[in-house]
Amino acid sequence: MPDRDPVERPFALVVALVALAAWVGGDFFMHEVLSEIAILSIFAMSLSLLVGQVGMVSMGHAAFFATGAYATAALTIHLQWQVLPALLAATLIAALLAALTGLFAIRTRGIFFIMITLAIGQMVHAYLFKARAFGADDGMGGIPRMDLAWIGLDSNEPEVFSASVLIIAAIVWFLLRILVRSPYGAMLLAIHHNEHRLRALGGFVAHFKLLAFVIAGTIAGLAGSLTAQHTAFVSPDLGFWTVSGEVLIMVIVGGMGSLTGAIAGAAVLTLLRHTLSDSSFWQNLGLDSGLASYWQFMMGVFFIVMVVFATDGIHGRLRRLWQSIKG
Amino acid sequence: MMLLDPGFLIIQTLNGLQLSMLLFLLSIGLSVVFGLMNFINLAHGTLYMIGAYLALSAVRLFDSFWIALILAPLGVAMVGAVLYALLLRHLQSRGPMSQVLVTFGLIFVGIDAVRMIWGPLPHGLPVPDVLDGRMEILGEVYPTYRLFIIAVGIVALIGLYFGLERTRLGAMVRAGVDDRTMTAALGINIDRVFFLVFCLGCWLAGVAGVISAPVFSVFPGMDMSILILTLIVVVVGGPGSLWGAAVGSLLIGMVDTYGQILAPEFARATIYALMAAILLLRPHGLLPARPIH
Repeated sequence: MPDRDPVERPFALVVALVALAAWVGGDFFMHEVLSEIAILSIFAMSLSLLVGQVGMVSMGHAAFFATGAYATAALTIHLQWQVLPALLAATLIAALLAALTGLFAIRTRGIFFIMITLAIGQMVHAYLFKARAFGADDGMGGIPRMDLAWIGLDSNEPEVFSASVLIIAAIVWFLLRILVRSPYGAMLLAIHHNEHRLRALGGFVAHFKLLAFVIAGTIAGLAGSLTAQHTAFVSPDLGFWTVSGEVLIMVIVGGMGSLTGAIAGAAVLTLLRHTLSDSSFWQNLGLDSGLASYWQFMMGVFFIVMVVFATDGIHGRLRRLWQSIKG
Repeated sequence: MMLLDPGFLIIQTLNGLQLSMLLFLLSIGLSVVFGLMNFINLAHGTLYMIGAYLALSAVRLFDSFWIALILAPLGVAMVGAVLYALLLRHLQSRGPMSQVLVTFGLIFVGIDAVRMIWGPLPHGLPVPDVLDGRMEILGEVYPTYRLFIIAVGIVALIGLYFGLERTRLGAMVRAGVDDRTMTAALGINIDRVFFLVFCLGCWLAGVAGVISAPVFSVFPGMDMSILILTLIVVVVGGPGSLWGAAVGSLLIGMVDTYGQILAPEFARATIYALMAAILLLRPHGLLPARPIH
């Protein structure tokens, strides 16, 4: 299939080079941030598949993120599993939850889909918040990271862990790109454009939507498992509806329908949050360092401005730029 | 078993009724706006929070709960009107996602704005003297102020019923919910109707904020938990419908109150499951305002 989007490939190349440069030149703190960005990128790419490709706007995607994280925590701490099998099992559990809830969710559309996914996410959050077996509102701590001793590495080193999650993010990008460009991806896009027509043509719309929902949930579960390993801690906050909202903003900021955009969106939002909440940033600007405690205010304004004025996101801007250069 | 104790049942039912009435005040504005324009406003809880904070300032300034009850909701309606004129008006033609995300951003702006102005610590508001006591109801002693909240909800329901059924504006709203295009074609300025309904909804959210302030504490973020319950009421009851909002509020208020006692571990999860089940069985809510095509 010919590449209809001229920007995506160079954009991805630039993002990869920036990530590589940041990893090579980065200090301890930079590697921590890189890990965070890589994990959120995986999370955002999974939602990008749903929102950008199929037009299913989920406000409950954090449910699968939290499920992946908690399953990893419970399997490694309660059952003493090794991390890698726990990661696989956690991803599978998130997939099962996505299949189960997706059966219901895909029957609704538009605002009702938003509301039912919000309810699903909050259901998971409410359960985790009260579940004693999983530490209730305190969460669980002491989750180990994947064992990389078999290739002679220690994943507790920040640069090793950040490299691992960056590689996983790259693999997810490749797999999702293959998926999006396959006939199945074309079918999903067709659902986005005109679901009724596709149904009239005999497409199994429900099957395709459910499969997309499950794939997105599975990848979100993988991201959840990685974040549990990264921070060694899980709390019900991981599943709160605002997390679903924020990852949706990442997708919008990056540009709907672009996988690379989702990565860029995750990076922009994460860096912005770290910057705005850092009191020395405000001091260097010659402003009151107390402004740092109001970073949520500025993030909120940023969300609003991005959604109102830049609906097509970073990817869309690049594309327009490329078109204007081309003439 | 405590469920067989009539005194316990009466008290808990009154508690449930109190939550239901607050939810009704919050959900009716959101519901009609949703029914009229398919507009979803996540910042509705923020307006409720602003109502509580404005009441706090009004009480400090005038030393009267009643003046606060008059002024604060008006202030909230003004905040709503400004938000509408500057921001929300431009989102009407956009899809639900833009509306959800912009008003989602407003939630964070609201919480931090309140924190900047009134500080991060929780505040309390004293119960007005006239209502500061207990009353005997069906042989049980219950705080008078909580009965007042229930009464406000009932008065609002009756007032809205007559407003919707007997006034010109009410007829326009009903017509608009039923068929927006046709109503506009008949020469009714639907945007203005929408604006008025939106402001009225903000005013009611402000009222809910003021009257809940003496019972719950006032803090940045008090809007978060009630917002989700309010959204559930709107969806469960059926967007755009007065009786839908009333029935939805009663259902969610009661299930939440009794759920917290009977199965605290699953109470909130049950409500979300209930909403999902209702959405699947009746996708337009229990009492939809519009005939289903």
